[in-house]
Amino acid sequence: MMLAETVAPAPSVASLPETAEAQIIGRHIAVDFTHAGRRQRVLQSVNISIPRGSFVSLIGPSGCGKSTLLKVLAGLVPPSEGSVTVDGIAPEEAAKKRVIGLVFQEATLLPWKNALENAAFLLMTADESIAKSEAFGRAEAMLKLVGLRDAEKKMPSQLSGGMRQRVAIARALALDPQVLLMDEPFGALDAITREEMSECLLDIWERTGKTIVLVTHSIDEAVLLSDEVHVMGTGPARIIETLPITVARPRGEESYSEPAFKAAEKRLRGLLIESHRRTS
Amino acid sequence: MTEVVQSGVSQARSDNVRKPLPDFIPAAGLMIAALLVWELGVRLFNVPEFVVPAPSAVFRSLIESRYHLMVAAKVTAIEVLVGFILSAVVGIAVALVISRFERFGRALYPLIVLFQNVPKVALAPIFILWFGYDMAPKLLLIVVIAFFPVTIDMLAGLQSVEPSFVSLMKSVGANKNKIMLRVRIPHALPHLFAGLKVAITFSVIGAIVGEFAGANAGLGYVIQFASTQLDTPLVFSALLVISVLGLAFYYVVELAERFLVPWAPKYDTRQRSH
Repeated sequence: MMLAETVAPAPSVASLPETAEAQIIGRHIAVDFTHAGRRQRVLQSVNISIPRGSFVSLIGPSGCGKSTLLKVLAGLVPPSEGSVTVDGIAPEEAAKKRVIGLVFQEATLLPWKNALENAAFLLMTADESIAKSEAFGRAEAMLKLVGLRDAEKKMPSQLSGGMRQRVAIARALALDPQVLLMDEPFGALDAITREEMSECLLDIWERTGKTIVLVTHSIDEAVLLSDEVHVMGTGPARIIETLPITVARPRGEESYSEPAFKAAEKRLRGLLIESHRRTS
Repeated sequence: MTEVVQSGVSQARSDNVRKPLPDFIPAAGLMIAALLVWELGVRLFNVPEFVVPAPSAVFRSLIESRYHLMVAAKVTAIEVLVGFILSAVVGIAVALVISRFERFGRALYPLIVLFQNVPKVALAPIFILWFGYDMAPKLLLIVVIAFFPVTIDMLAGLQSVEPSFVSLMKSVGANKNKIMLRVRIPHALPHLFAGLKVAITFSVIGAIVGEFAGANAGLGYVIQFASTQLDTPLVFSALLVISVLGLAFYYVVELAERFLVPWAPKYDTRQRSH
């Protein structure tokens, strides 16, 4: 078992699709965290290649390192081993060049700024020289894109959880990034809002053509949105399978009843149950 | 029959639903009742005035010594105000230094906490010894007593920013100073005001203790002087003036909070039970 783990990555590197298509490339990514003086491996030898303009999901049980992997791709966590490039450069450089937009589970809006000011805030932080009118203009357009036409002047305390998360997405989009990295963005929302947000995200992706990487624990969400789903497992945390989703596009509510959807859902469920069983 | 009963019940219910009283009415009612009991008790049991004066005696003394008390109140008020402002400045500065320079902060913070265990009231005679009978020792005492809650709350506020938001700022290239200025400090304001409200009441205590230890003016001095003369009604009226002064200062801080930090969570006594 251990031997198989250490040997396995070598051939898969060779088979990485190293075309111009791949926008995000991670090779042999391993991450160690030091906790209370003990080094612990939280991610083991991950190879990942994310094509430009694709929608990719990372799914897996908690503790499988999916959030850590996303943070490595975002340049927020430096890998202990291996390398990551986004558009051919290191992710932290890419982030500074506004290639990467980030959305987290908590919307983290500034409570003293209204929706429009919040949506423009990161852009104005990233680009000191941008004219206020231009930043606000872009923020306004992005708020419209996420379906918040009339909420510009509202304060975060006046917005619902779903609306706050929409503002957070608009804030990331205002940077006009090539890549949108999302860490369980709908994890704190109720089921109905969650479905609405999935459709909103699908619409954004179709309209903007951005590369989106979504960390989620919802099988439905992953299948509905993604071109490719990377299933992650624990012990040690790694990608156990990459599943292409062949459900016809454009997708929508009717996609749920397609045979391809059901097949993918069943396969993912099987993989997740298997990886869950192995850990417990 | 059932209909009649039901309508009767609903009638009774609508009678029970009264408009809520304004906030101050129950409190004022209770206070008046307490004062009446106090007055009656003193008269009924013939308590000597120098032991416990009746509210009416306190009120008489308040009118008689009004000029004297006003001069004293002015001295104390200036001490409280200047001391409070200094406490706020020192408290905020210490918090910013601890938060911005982490290593130095790790060395400084335990020392500050340790210093809090020194009974600061006991420092008053030393400060008098060093700085004489003027305002300086009182201000120093106030700062020593009142800066700590400001520091603690400001620190909590600076650290209240979600780590993911800090990541977001870092990812677009914002450095520590920028994050401090644009995110941490505004985030800290509601916490800061909680600390300032504690600091303003501590400032009043600091001023009075400082005056006890050695002064020739101020309300603390009036209390001490009056008590040596067994003029207990004057002691009580000076106490009353101090309380009113403290309350006024407190509300100025609260007003400033409402104006400067409108997004701060409101502490409404009526909603607390929910």
